[in-house]
Amino acid sequence: MNSFIVLMNKEFTQMVRDFKIIWLPLVFILLGITQPVMTYYLPTILEALGSGQGITIDPNIAAQQGGEILAGTLGAQFDQLGIIIIAISLMGIIQTDKANGMLAFILTRPVPVRSYVGGKIASNYIFTAFSVAVGYLASYLYVNLLFTNVAIFDMLTALLFYLVWILFIISFTTMISTLINSPGLIALISIAFLIGCRLIVGLSSMIDIINPASMSKHAMEVLITGSVNSNAIVNLVVSLLCAAIAIFITNYWISNKKFSNE
Amino acid sequence: MKLEIRNVKKTFKNKTAVDSFSMELQSGECVGLIGPNGAGKSTLIKMIADIINPDTGEILLNGKRISSIKKEIGYLPQYPNFFNWMTAKETLMFMGKLSGLSKNGLNTAIPNILKKVGLSGEEDSKVGTFSGGMKQRLGIAQTLLHKPSLIIMDEPVSALDPIGRREVLNLIQEIKKETTILLSTHILGDAQEICERFIVIKNGLKIEDTSIIELLQRNSDNKLNIEITEKDQKWIGTIEELPYVKGIEVIGNQLKVEVENLENNKNLLLGHALKHDVDIVKFEVGNDTLEDIFLKLVVEK
Repeated sequence: MNSFIVLMNKEFTQMVRDFKIIWLPLVFILLGITQPVMTYYLPTILEALGSGQGITIDPNIAAQQGGEILAGTLGAQFDQLGIIIIAISLMGIIQTDKANGMLAFILTRPVPVRSYVGGKIASNYIFTAFSVAVGYLASYLYVNLLFTNVAIFDMLTALLFYLVWILFIISFTTMISTLINSPGLIALISIAFLIGCRLIVGLSSMIDIINPASMSKHAMEVLITGSVNSNAIVNLVVSLLCAAIAIFITNYWISNKKFSNE
Repeated sequence: MKLEIRNVKKTFKNKTAVDSFSMELQSGECVGLIGPNGAGKSTLIKMIADIINPDTGEILLNGKRISSIKKEIGYLPQYPNFFNWMTAKETLMFMGKLSGLSKNGLNTAIPNILKKVGLSGEEDSKVGTFSGGMKQRLGIAQTLLHKPSLIIMDEPVSALDPIGRREVLNLIQEIKKETTILLSTHILGDAQEICERFIVIKNGLKIEDTSIIELLQRNSDNKLNIEITEKDQKWIGTIEELPYVKGIEVIGNQLKVEVENLENNKNLLLGHALKHDVDIVKFEVGNDTLEDIFLKLVVEK
């Protein structure tokens, strides 16, 4: 337990030294603001840039609800650029330690593997969740300012659902970072798989049950309709299970020293 | 403290890195594990440090598996990298805490250790700015921090320049008084300087386990190395007939003369040379150097 806290502190210190503590929340704030601001000003921009010929901007078009815009932040911004940024910022989470021998070195000390993996996942999850939440809140403020208000309870429920999906993103990227040695390949596989998961949501209700990306859809639904889908709880449990499996594989791989068998 | 390695074997894909290796190490010893590159030294060291598991066999420290008493070992990797963004003090703090030491204990121990390895004044410098020798010394500081009963070092000096080498060798000389050391190297001079006992490993097999004195004695044969000038080549013919000369090996102006009894015959031969007015450049008792012995062991066997 003690080494878990030491390793977690080390991760946080590293984030501060790398300035990750500044840039990651900043990126998510920018992503969060983009959706409401772009949607709000798009008609004006189109009007100013285009000559107006052939484009009709109907002023009577149903005004978008705040909830829809906030859902758009999750679906269009965080689930695309957001995933790419998280995967890239985490691709070296274990791989760097493997490559420079620090992983083997740390494990020559009386450190249980679960403390090492736990410290990595916990610290990075806390920080990434914080960054996503900050970006989401920024988006929420802009939505309330430019569009209709979103109920605070819906906003928090959606955030909670979304952060379960983030947990899976982090566990999965950590697992790939453990199994594979090339940082580029880690990023590619993680991004392709995670965005793939997100894209197939809604194609089949069977796959949706075991797809952690469904949590993102449930978050959006809460924002748009104001009610929780009946499958959400099942999905939540399955998603947590998927994250647990990824963490377990990571732990198993390191415990059995497969990382050092070149 | 007693380290026992019993019949350890490790195979990577289809290459056997270490093959049925056994040895014992007693408290207070300083043992050099020597062998050419690719002999299996690092693999063996990594198995002792519990970084990789042996395929068969076992490694016991005081009768227990290493994985259950990691606190008792201090390990110095071949290239200690550490985290470049940490300062020397933070690195020791980090490694010390992982070894289960308390923060208060570390606060008093770290300045002492840094002083010992000659890094006082550098506690707040980033490890990324350190030279190879400094990193190695920091690595040694890290192995000493939790007062382990066995210190394992993988090629502690091989990658250093002569200055760094000297610093680290002196440091090891210093710490070997207090603890048991097992180190690997392919530079014999270094091993000769700090270790009393050698284990020679080649292709994963232990081919020699002996002390330096024994090794030198066993390999001393009654030979004299003589260097003469060009004009005295004919003298070689005359000494061939001397009763106590058993054999001559000529390489250019160098002679290797094997005699019956070194003690008695060397002065006779010198006298003979002087009588014939030979221009002697060099005249010495030809013990094999450790390097010759090493080459003989590793190349020929």
